[in-house]
Amino acid sequence: MDKKGLSLKESVWSQLDRKAGAIIELTIRQLRHRLSTWVVLGVGVLIMLLLLAFYVDSVRDGFESIDNDGDSVDEDEDGYPLGQEIKYGHSDFDSSQYPGVGKYIPIGEIDDNDLLRNTSGNYSWFGQGILDPVWINMNYTGNEWDPIINWQDEINTCPEGEAFTDWVLVEYGSACVYGNGEYVFKGEFQASGSVEVPMDYYLAWGIYTDSFYVEPDPISMYIDEDDINWDDILLQSSQGFDDDGDCTRENWSEDSNWIYVDDEGEEFDNDKNGNGIICDVQWILDGDGNVIEINKDSNVDEDPIDEKFMGESSHRTFIIGVGKMAFVILLGLFLPLFLSLGLIRDETENGTLHYLLSKPIHRGEFIIYRLLGYLSVTGTYILFLSLFMGLFSSLLGPGESIIRLSDMPIWLGIGFATILVLCAYGALFNTLALISPKYGIYVCISIGVWEFVMGILTIANPNWTISAISINHWALQIIDSIVLIAWPDTLQLQQMSLAFNLETGLDIFWKPPAHTLGTSNPLVSIFISIIMLSLFTVSMLGIGQSIFKNREIM
Amino acid sequence: MNEISNKSPSVMLDHVSKWYGEVIGLNDISLAIEGGVTGILGPNGAGKSTLFKILMGRLKPSQGAVRLFGIDPWKSTTPYRRIGYVSESERMYDWMTSLDFISTLARLHGMSREEAVERSKHVLNFVGLGDVYYKEIGKYSKGMRQRVKIAHALVHNPDLIILDEPLHGCDPIARTSIMNVIRELGLQGKTVLVSSHILEEIERITEQIVILNNGKLLAIGNLHAIRDLLDQHPHRILINCENPRDLAGLFIASEPVYGVRFPDKGQLEIHTNNLSAAHDVLPSLIVKSNQKITSIENPDDNLDSLIGYLIGGINHG
Repeated sequence: MDKKGLSLKESVWSQLDRKAGAIIELTIRQLRHRLSTWVVLGVGVLIMLLLLAFYVDSVRDGFESIDNDGDSVDEDEDGYPLGQEIKYGHSDFDSSQYPGVGKYIPIGEIDDNDLLRNTSGNYSWFGQGILDPVWINMNYTGNEWDPIINWQDEINTCPEGEAFTDWVLVEYGSACVYGNGEYVFKGEFQASGSVEVPMDYYLAWGIYTDSFYVEPDPISMYIDEDDINWDDILLQSSQGFDDDGDCTRENWSEDSNWIYVDDEGEEFDNDKNGNGIICDVQWILDGDGNVIEINKDSNVDEDPIDEKFMGESSHRTFIIGVGKMAFVILLGLFLPLFLSLGLIRDETENGTLHYLLSKPIHRGEFIIYRLLGYLSVTGTYILFLSLFMGLFSSLLGPGESIIRLSDMPIWLGIGFATILVLCAYGALFNTLALISPKYGIYVCISIGVWEFVMGILTIANPNWTISAISINHWALQIIDSIVLIAWPDTLQLQQMSLAFNLETGLDIFWKPPAHTLGTSNPLVSIFISIIMLSLFTVSMLGIGQSIFKNREIM
Repeated sequence: MNEISNKSPSVMLDHVSKWYGEVIGLNDISLAIEGGVTGILGPNGAGKSTLFKILMGRLKPSQGAVRLFGIDPWKSTTPYRRIGYVSESERMYDWMTSLDFISTLARLHGMSREEAVERSKHVLNFVGLGDVYYKEIGKYSKGMRQRVKIAHALVHNPDLIILDEPLHGCDPIARTSIMNVIRELGLQGKTVLVSSHILEEIERITEQIVILNNGKLLAIGNLHAIRDLLDQHPHRILINCENPRDLAGLFIASEPVYGVRFPDKGQLEIHTNNLSAAHDVLPSLIVKSNQKITSIENPDDNLDSLIGYLIGGINHG
């Protein structure tokens, strides 16, 4: 190309540049002169400040350790928490059953099959019969729910006639006395002597072991008592250790197996994950060494030290939640609704459009420059807002360094995804306002409602196909993907919160990206999402341009 | 086709019609305009604004072809490099200063920021706003606003300037100043189209006119020639004086007058077939009557009468 041709080309470009600059600048100044612009931008800042305040508040409170498996309660109020009762094999619903209490050992019984209907000795007795006592334990308590005969009250004289023939005792836990000093009884008691059992009646006897004192454990002992044990290197998939022994059940008494459910309310199974190793946790990794699933046996690692995981997980949940809900879904929708709808429409309505269109500038170009003007305002705003949020939350967030640099890519990603959404909605809303200046706003609001619902659905489950028929679905996918790139262990934290019942919200706000074409590679998802959003923006822009080009301006 | 041709006339309409549904805006207009100031005359609703909107590519003609410098303005924005347009719309960006307003729009012609500011100052001086261009437009009077609009149309030194009712609503001083500007542009050899519904306004600016009525092209040519034709037809002159009956006697005796009437007390209406001849004798007769005359009006000397005459002429022809 000769020198002249080159300079001509340059001058065409610089003129185009000047026109674009003038319209962009005019658009920015117009937006700046509108109250609604300041209101919507101000509300955005207020929302962010409010969210930061909540964050500061939660950080200051710290992360309280909670009893994840619920074994710190003392339901029967006998002074021993559930965890300690489990160890000794007692129920937490019976205050007479507690660690150290004497244990009943059955010795004999007389039932329908026995011909010999009498016996003697010093035992705890249960059933019906006639006792000729040597000694009676007046203070016998037995089990709380048992029909124990109260010997301390006055015992009634038996009625006339023969017991079990002429009359029977009706109430359990009652007795009467004959003149000869023998007792007819129905219930439980401890005594030494001989006992006769009439035909068709039943009696069992045994002894109680000596009780001994067990110091009640403090409730705090049953909070965080079974932490997550895992090898950071994750060389092997079998991890975990039953710190509190409620899975391995060592030192348990044989007959104390009364707990049939585990910490998740399911049937107790010491090899629930079926890997052939009892009381362990199975960590399943993908090819890149990321934890993609955690399966644990019952009551293993069921009460982790919350602060260790909650701090990091909650911080990430905050960033992802704010990015998705506040940036993409709220600001991403409201900024275009307030600022892009009138880009062309307002000029037509105000009667000022002819100033701009009587210039040597194509209407199609004009739309692009107007949108660029709107984007320079909203884009700059989003960028600054996300960096501001990033700076504050990374100063406040957990970690040893003063500032968490690893958060920055996420915030930039959130800003980037929001700006793409602003482009798409901007082009869409502007086009709708061109198609129908009067009713376009209602269509835009309806679309806004749809987008909001689809955004929530995407957060809940990005794999639902219907949610992909929305703009913010793809922007949310970009955030999910960038999270996986900048914080690869989010997958692990999310699996941990799911497997160990750590309520961090991470599994609510973050899911692995859905559109990876089966590669699980977040870059693929980012690429596809950018393509989808750009295609949408460009096609909306094209439709808007062709409508505007053929529009007569009265 | 996109190249601007110097041979083509600035404005060329070939059998152009425009209708809005059932309503006809322009009806089979053909004309070519090149150089000088041309007044587009017509009553409200005659189709002046429709014509301008078609020229500015805002409306698409329903039929016929429009060319500005040989290019169809509906399809290309190229002609606008050489056109300045002043719309009838009163609306502007009131929050801007006039310098800001004009320089921003000037940049849409591809000027650099500095160049645009310099040119804007120049045109604002030209329209007589040199000392107020740092004030916001919202604070301007109607005449000043109108001049800002004109200045914006001149900033890129166009060859064709289209002004839609530029004198509408202006006070006499602003009116005079705007007329001077338009005349000056004509003298500079630019093609200027000015629309108005007031004959007297156009008469003070130019002789070259186009008359539109009900969307039709009624007349095109020199205003004086048209007027002269009109003068040969019955005209009225209304004189307010002390003693109309004395004055009437003098007029009856004179050649061009064929009748008189006394519409009101102290009023004399003279009927003539030759307006210029009647005006020629008017001063000497008044002197002769020795009366105090408070006013002389020509009630038939307006656009409506002109159009009425032209329609009549066509009807009779």
